[in-house]
Amino acid sequence: MRKILGRALISFFIILSSVGAQADSLQERILLTFIPNIQFAPFYVGIADGHFARQGFDVTLEHLQEPDVLDLVAAGQADFGIVSGEQVILARAKGRDVVYVYEWFQEFPVGIVMVSDDGGADLENLTDMTVGIPGRFGASYSGLTTLLQSAGLSEDDIELNEIGFNAPDVFCLGAVDAAVVYVNNEPLQIRKRVAAGDCGDVREIAVVSVASRVDLVSNGLIVSADLAGRDPDKVQRMASAFNSALKATINNPAAAYLASGTFVETLPGEPALLTLLRELAAEQAVFLETDPTREEIAESRSDMLVLLADAVGSDDLTQFEVLLRTIALWDADTLGHSDLSSWEAMSDTLRLMGLLSDDPPDLSASFSNQFVTGIGE
Amino acid sequence: MAEVGKKHDTELGSRSTRTLLLQLRRSSPLLSLVALLLLWQLLTSAEIYPAFIVPPPAAVGEAFIEALQSGLLLKHLSVTLEEMFFGLILGLGIGLSIGYAIAKMPILEYTLSPVIVAFQSTPIVAYAPLLVIWFGSGPTSKIVTTAVIVFFPSLVNTIVAVRAVSPNLRDLMTSLNATPWQTFRQLELPSALPVVLAGLKTSATLAVIGAVVGEFVTQGSGLGFLVTSARNQYDTPLVIVTVLTMTAIALSLYSFVVLLEWRWLAWRRRSKP
Amino acid sequence: MKLSLRELVVDFKTPDEGRLPALGPISLEVSPGEFVCIVGPSGCGKSTLIRTLAGLQRATSGSVAGDDVPITGPLATLAIMFQDANLMPWRTVIDNIGLPLELAGVDKARRHAAVYELLPQLHLQNFALSYPAELSGGMAQRVALGRVIVQRPKALLLDEPFGALDAMTREKISLELLDLWREHRQTVVMVTHDINEAVLMADRVVVLSSRPGKLVADIAIALERPRAINMIYRETFLRLVRETRAAIDPPDA
Repeated sequence: MRKILGRALISFFIILSSVGAQADSLQERILLTFIPNIQFAPFYVGIADGHFARQGFDVTLEHLQEPDVLDLVAAGQADFGIVSGEQVILARAKGRDVVYVYEWFQEFPVGIVMVSDDGGADLENLTDMTVGIPGRFGASYSGLTTLLQSAGLSEDDIELNEIGFNAPDVFCLGAVDAAVVYVNNEPLQIRKRVAAGDCGDVREIAVVSVASRVDLVSNGLIVSADLAGRDPDKVQRMASAFNSALKATINNPAAAYLASGTFVETLPGEPALLTLLRELAAEQAVFLETDPTREEIAESRSDMLVLLADAVGSDDLTQFEVLLRTIALWDADTLGHSDLSSWEAMSDTLRLMGLLSDDPPDLSASFSNQFVTGIGE
Repeated sequence: MAEVGKKHDTELGSRSTRTLLLQLRRSSPLLSLVALLLLWQLLTSAEIYPAFIVPPPAAVGEAFIEALQSGLLLKHLSVTLEEMFFGLILGLGIGLSIGYAIAKMPILEYTLSPVIVAFQSTPIVAYAPLLVIWFGSGPTSKIVTTAVIVFFPSLVNTIVAVRAVSPNLRDLMTSLNATPWQTFRQLELPSALPVVLAGLKTSATLAVIGAVVGEFVTQGSGLGFLVTSARNQYDTPLVIVTVLTMTAIALSLYSFVVLLEWRWLAWRRRSKP
Repeated sequence: MKLSLRELVVDFKTPDEGRLPALGPISLEVSPGEFVCIVGPSGCGKSTLIRTLAGLQRATSGSVAGDDVPITGPLATLAIMFQDANLMPWRTVIDNIGLPLELAGVDKARRHAAVYELLPQLHLQNFALSYPAELSGGMAQRVALGRVIVQRPKALLLDEPFGALDAMTREKISLELLDLWREHRQTVVMVTHDINEAVLMADRVVVLSSRPGKLVADIAIALERPRAINMIYRETFLRLVRETRAAIDPPDA
């Protein structure tokens, strides 16, 4: 009796594991944060244009809370996730053995927007000002702490208001003098309102990005240390696939925008805009054949925007502009590479915020450039 | 002599067995708790999930003591309790009085029911952010979320309870020339009390949800905030401590209502000898 | 108290706005201190008659009066008792009996004095602090009776007060009621469906026809008081019962 039961159990587990294994070789989940958005364009390009498939992955995307992404990857429930470096430090301090293997955002995306009469920005002016922030958590809060620290200020020197993700409204209503924002998004919306005379008596704004002051580690690809040790080939293939998708997105944002349409339901897609984008994408593909330099490609992106702005209303173009500004945060000579100094800067900020105890964490084990080096050209 | 001794022994034996069984029965709720703890310990020992996802009981116990000593738990607990207290008073007050009015005036039910049903069938989590915008990120919005979630069961139970008052007893009160206040105080109130208290049990446990939902929306203080903040700091034991604290509040409130039932509804425990 | 019905008619509204005649026209006079039983086929409007006298039901036409004063609502001097003991389950025996006094604003000490004085007559002295759930049907009905008596009413209106009790209890409690009545001498109008009970207790038995109830017989009961249970074997008793039964079910009908 016991034997039969044992055999039944064993065959049950064999079936289970074979189902699991089969799914494993085909399907791969990548865990993202936030919601589907144009800022995840490299993943949409990677799926739509076969960058993942060429490395043997059939990728599905899921959006979760950042701590959940981290725990699921750390527990081996999912192999790949995208989180910010700050979360990696915090989670490692609490026993999650994850490794950051590919730096996606080369620049920390947070900054502070404030009224400026002459276009100049001086952080010291923040003293006694009312500053809006989504909340005392996440990248906005660590970004603000770093900025204040870099200006020799602290949270006590300003009046901090939790305003949720409503910076353009609250700022233009005059309820705050400055606001912590994502530099690739809100400043764009505020500038449009200023231009339309729809932002109170604000004539000019200035943005100080964290990246302009301190190099802080930002979003990147994480895997569990276990996976990195057990199956480095798989990690390498994912790093290569993402690298190739990211590069394609940077090089041809028109094509990337088109590829994102299927994934981001709310993305503006008027026929006129799409037709124009298709033409631009085809022209860009030809241009890329000529092996242009990074600077030349950056210039071609600006040209695209000028061309589009002439033909399409500016409201429909906002998301494309967000994409271009976000690309500026990704672009670098060597994509994916992470510096120890940016990790140290982040760790200092976290300690300043009281989120990290004083014993220094082993930051060099938090990340690895091994898989970036391993990407074949 | 030996016979007698034997008999005595068996009697003693059977009595002690009976006492043991009685004690087992009395302590059975405690036993289920112990069993739950054992199962939890077993699960963590089996390492199906790593400790950072399912921490062992001991780690949670440590986190509890630490959170207690640092004052962190009590600080956020008192915030949540205050919101719940005022939310309960507001929600029950409105629910009981509107419920009574509806029970007495059917036309009111006809007029109000679409609003009330719509209100009830909309999940509070969906519009809690709006309440925060309307009532600010301070305690008021959390008091309102609590009140809203508590309101409905107290309303429905009040209507049902007042409608269920025996028409014969109403006749009796009329024949005795009772004033409306006397009818309320001597007939409707005691007659409706069992059902209203049953509704209060539901409301009491829902109040915790109301306050915590409000705290999830605005980050600041309270157990809802503590759970998010612990989660963001990857402190799973503290997450569990906070969740268990919420459970404890709900259970205490529930027990408090049971106590009220015990005191106020003593007559229900009486029956023919 | 003298009770009088003059050309009383009571109709009920039906859901389709029609009118369902329930009672009358009927005229009847009950002298002070008289014990009148009302019998009739079920649905003849006996209960409606009692409820109208108690001021719980409005007359459609005609009038009801107590001591020649029209009855338009409940009176403190006119107490009604129902078939169901109708006790408040959350009140003890003494608090149930004392309810009318409490509603009338009598203070606790005087209320308790009045109630405790009644308890022995009701055979409830050992149940003062019991709750209704702990009482038998007969005892519950005694409590209901106590609640009526304690008001010291001038007239008692009893709507099948013992209808839900078993035969033995019913007989016993009927005679107890007669004892109480002999002591206080209120006017009593009692509805019953038991002809033996009616003849045994009443000075007059009034027979109503089927709906809408009209007066078909008014039979004087010439039996001496105090009544006793063995009277039911007397020839006079049996004749009166036969006479009453014939009025309810006419042999030629």
